Amino acid sequence: MTWHVDAELLQAYERGSLTPSRVMAVDAHVQACAACRAAVPADTAWLDRTWLAVADTVVTGRPGRAEWLLRRVGLPEHRVRLLAATPALRWSYLAATAAVLALAVATAYTGQSAARTTLVLFLVFAPVLPVLAVATAYGPPADSMHEITSATPMAGPSLVLWRATAVVGPAMGMEMIAAVASPGPGWWAVAWLLPAFLLCVGTLALATVLPLARAAGLLGGTWLLVALAAGSSAPLVQGVLFGPAAQVGYLVAVIAAIAVLTLRRRHLNPGESR
Amino acid sequence: MTTVRVGELRKRFGATVALDGLDLEIGVGVTGLLGPNGAGKTTLLRCLATVLAPDHGRIEAYGLDPADSRQRTALRRRLGYLPQSPGLYPNFSAAALLGYVAVLKEIVDPRQRRTEVHRALEEVGLSDRANVKVRKLSGGMRQRLGVAQALLGHPDLIILDEPTVGLDPEQRMFFRTLISRLGETRTVLLSTHQTEDAGALCERVVVLREGRAVFDGAPRALAQLAEGQVWRSAGPPEGRTMYWRTAEGDYRTLGPQPPDGVAVPPSIEDGYLKLLGPAPAAGTIR
Repeated sequence: MTWHVDAELLQAYERGSLTPSRVMAVDAHVQACAACRAAVPADTAWLDRTWLAVADTVVTGRPGRAEWLLRRVGLPEHRVRLLAATPALRWSYLAATAAVLALAVATAYTGQSAARTTLVLFLVFAPVLPVLAVATAYGPPADSMHEITSATPMAGPSLVLWRATAVVGPAMGMEMIAAVASPGPGWWAVAWLLPAFLLCVGTLALATVLPLARAAGLLGGTWLLVALAAGSSAPLVQGVLFGPAAQVGYLVAVIAAIAVLTLRRRHLNPGESR
Repeated sequence: MTTVRVGELRKRFGATVALDGLDLEIGVGVTGLLGPNGAGKTTLLRCLATVLAPDHGRIEAYGLDPADSRQRTALRRRLGYLPQSPGLYPNFSAAALLGYVAVLKEIVDPRQRRTEVHRALEEVGLSDRANVKVRKLSGGMRQRLGVAQALLGHPDLIILDEPTVGLDPEQRMFFRTLISRLGETRTVLLSTHQTEDAGALCERVVVLREGRAVFDGAPRALAQLAEGQVWRSAGPPEGRTMYWRTAEGDYRTLGPQPPDGVAVPPSIEDGYLKLLGPAPAAGTIR
């Protein structure tokens, strides 16, 4: 080292009164010389904060599309992180659901005798799809990291409810688009909404007594059995399952299920080994 | 100082008894669990990690009882757990994955969380892989990331189920340094099949067999179980004893002295094999 930053030069450097070329010379020297570097006063707290901010920008990267959407809805950042890891919110799951719905809509447009059956089947199966999303929103079959999740303080009923709420939205939204795009009468597009909502809330309410997956299987299975039994005639499906009286019944049941879920939410059983 | 107490712990899976009235007390430091497959190591670790409820018996960790839901949550706040199959999301980057687990550990403040994530990555030597997706990390790096998530939030009780699986010798050495440092102030409980790791890392070793502790003591004491029963000889021993041909071309025997046998100091593996006896078919380590 041929020279060092003397006191006078250091003062000028700190004041910012040096010419750019001399600043660069001092910078280069300070980087290589530990003694002179130590002489330059530094705000360690500021340096730490700045370094952390740089590391954040470099390390964290851009949020995924699902995260971006959830943040636009106004959810706090940490909540978004939790929800973005929900298995049923992954693109693969959403893409598979969209593909099945697109196929159903396409079949309904074929104009053949199968088209009418497809529409009836759509009505029967539509309420079960969100239940599947709820059943796989939390727990070992769908979540590969469940073992780690379940040993953390956030594990348990409130995480199940958050995730269930997060998955019902996209599932029902996609079905809504499919229903509106289908060639059936206008009421078809909304007739399945209340039963779907009832099956979701009912599953969560029943999960305060049974494990979540079993509750979903029981309610979804019962719905399919009843609907397919009535499905031998289209008018029967429309009248018994989706008529005005049935819709009022669903509404009452939804209110009852919400009440049960609110009162017993602490007992929600996500189906863990505990 | 005892931090974790387990009493009369029983757990069955159908007809299989995983834990058969296990009693154990663990304190600050590194305790290693050894035992053949199916001995109950993972079941014990899962019970202590609060993810599995025992059929019978009691667990108390840092004065908290995981059978009570409030105390269980309080215990989870002091817990770091690496399961045998962590199932880390392949499409998450290392930093994003740790960020997610940090939220699960209630580190809600973004600034604090980021600091914690950087610290954990640094601790396992993965700072330069922060942006790399989990699926692109090597097996050893994934294992290190698994340990990093367990270290988030400075847990008092660290439970690691086979943390050294899939690591090369250099990475294992890195782990030994890290785990022994953690053991200075925290309760670290790990399971392993590597008797070498247990000897190098743990101040205490518990050997489980069929859901019961059959040995509990220092690694040296485990080795001493085979004292005076380990031999080197030019030719193979007679009869049904455990022996193998060494790289030097002579034979190492565990059992009665062969005709030309010279006694050698026993290793922890010798003590372990002596304790558990030969496996039913092959006579090698289970």
